[in-house]
Amino acid sequence: MSQATKEAGLWTAVKELPGNFWSSIFRNPLPSSDLERASTSFTNFFLHIHPVKVHRNTLRPIYTLGLGLISFFLFLILMVTGILLMFYYVPSTTQAYDRMLDLRGSVAFGTFLRNMHRWSAHGMVAVVFLHMCRVFLTGAYKKPREFNWVLGVGLLLVTLFLSFTGYLLPWDQLAFWAITVGTSIAGYAPLVGQQIKFLLLGDATVGQEALLRFYVLHVAVLPATLMLLIGVHFWRIRKDGGLSRPEEPANLAVRVTAVPVEKAVEEKKRTYGLVGFVRGPFTKIGNIPDNSVYSWPNLLMAELFVFVLTVAAILTLSLLFHAPLEEPVNVMHPPNPAKAPWYFLGLQEMVSYSAFWGGIGIPTVFVLLLLLAPYLDRNPRGVGRWFARERLLANTIFITLVVVKVIFIVIGAFFRGPNWSFVSPW
Amino acid sequence: MPVAQRPRMTAAPSEQEDMPRRRLLSWFTSVGLFGSAVLSAFSNFVFIKPRATYGQPARFAIGKPEEFPPGTRISLDARRVCIVREGGKMAAISTTCTHLGCIVGVSDTGFACPCHGSRFDQDGNITGGPAPKPLPWYKVSLKPNGDLEVDKGVEVMPGTYYNV
Repeated sequence: MSQATKEAGLWTAVKELPGNFWSSIFRNPLPSSDLERASTSFTNFFLHIHPVKVHRNTLRPIYTLGLGLISFFLFLILMVTGILLMFYYVPSTTQAYDRMLDLRGSVAFGTFLRNMHRWSAHGMVAVVFLHMCRVFLTGAYKKPREFNWVLGVGLLLVTLFLSFTGYLLPWDQLAFWAITVGTSIAGYAPLVGQQIKFLLLGDATVGQEALLRFYVLHVAVLPATLMLLIGVHFWRIRKDGGLSRPEEPANLAVRVTAVPVEKAVEEKKRTYGLVGFVRGPFTKIGNIPDNSVYSWPNLLMAELFVFVLTVAAILTLSLLFHAPLEEPVNVMHPPNPAKAPWYFLGLQEMVSYSAFWGGIGIPTVFVLLLLLAPYLDRNPRGVGRWFARERLLANTIFITLVVVKVIFIVIGAFFRGPNWSFVSPW
Repeated sequence: MPVAQRPRMTAAPSEQEDMPRRRLLSWFTSVGLFGSAVLSAFSNFVFIKPRATYGQPARFAIGKPEEFPPGTRISLDARRVCIVREGGKMAAISTTCTHLGCIVGVSDTGFACPCHGSRFDQDGNITGGPAPKPLPWYKVSLKPNGDLEVDKGVEVMPGTYYNV
């Protein structure tokens, strides 16, 4: 009899194996109640980055434009395509360029992957910059989100540096001269400039040492830094009370009180009493209108939508346009004019007036202004709306700086010919 | 209860005596730990600063003086110098732009940089563009075997020629 139950037990186990295996991975069935929707968000490793509920304002596409998410998804695409490209790339002055040709000629999807990597990189620089504009123009950097803005400026700088280091790797003419110029700009920094240049290049001029150094920075040091910063950036969004949004009307102000879980559940029949322990303005215990919705499925669907759109855009671009590859490096003949990538053309244009002021002085002031913006502008009003009237001055200054920057880029890109002399694009 | 309290009673006076010592110890510990962290961070920079480089040597031979007839202005792009000979006088002028390190091209009027439009006259003096300094001149000498040698490690005053 005991034998019979054993056999039956084994048979039942085999029969139920797929179901048991599935439920051992996913502890929750597809949610059909609020309790399950909440628990889906916090029992899944990949989903628990989300809060259980998000404010409706967070989901308004016109408020965020999804720019932060797009930057992150572009970074994911860059990681995947970058790692794949690493299988074929050799950071050697004698091999790098040939490997680029190999990608074109003898590697399946080689051109396509390189296109994806290149266009995502350009896209990431652009979108990170636009994301910063969004955050500034909606006043989202104000208390308590000052430090997340600082982290964001750090992310912008790391993104630019990642793009710059990646620029050298194909070892073509464009790469070599852009890096020669770029590292010379670093050499103009007071006191430590020449030291920094030497550390970056590992030699007096751009050569094998520089290529290896830029490779290590590009595939290990900087991505790791970026991931760490992204992690803290995301974490702070939650800890700073979710995305910025307009203030709730005063009579509905939320009173923040820590409520014991059992009591909260018992009194209000709420299933998410845990949030009562988290400080910030999103505690939902008390008689206030609930302006939040469950992350599953609302936030998740929005994210999926942005993700699919981002991937589709990059795939389309990569099918239509090829990443440029110029002639192999010829250290004796700089192309004329030698131009940096578009996002550094504003810098290059400024550098053509004065290497120190254009390349070091003004950019440093610009970055310092960005870093200090939330600490200089303490006006608490106008948060959570585009172009708020109360923020007219701050927004005007910011837009002016952005427009000047764009003008310099346009001049550098279209109005500069051989010997960097002024030419008309028409 | 009394048993548990007794050690605390005896500990109380010595606890007060211990406080400055504890604070001192914790101060030493923090300084030690923080200092080690700073030192090890700094040692990374020491590590990545190469002690030997594999680039071009600063001193190199360029050939016999006869290979450069009077009136020569030849740019040795691989060496990044322009060899000038006027009569019996020879000089080596750098062709690395002092602005941002591009190679300047040799023209009839002097040198021109393709990157940001710096221009120099025949002696390397700035005539236009963003370059902050004139092109440096390097020491030229004759080796025992009769070869001319340029030493990029030694800059000489512009206008200093070597008489062959």
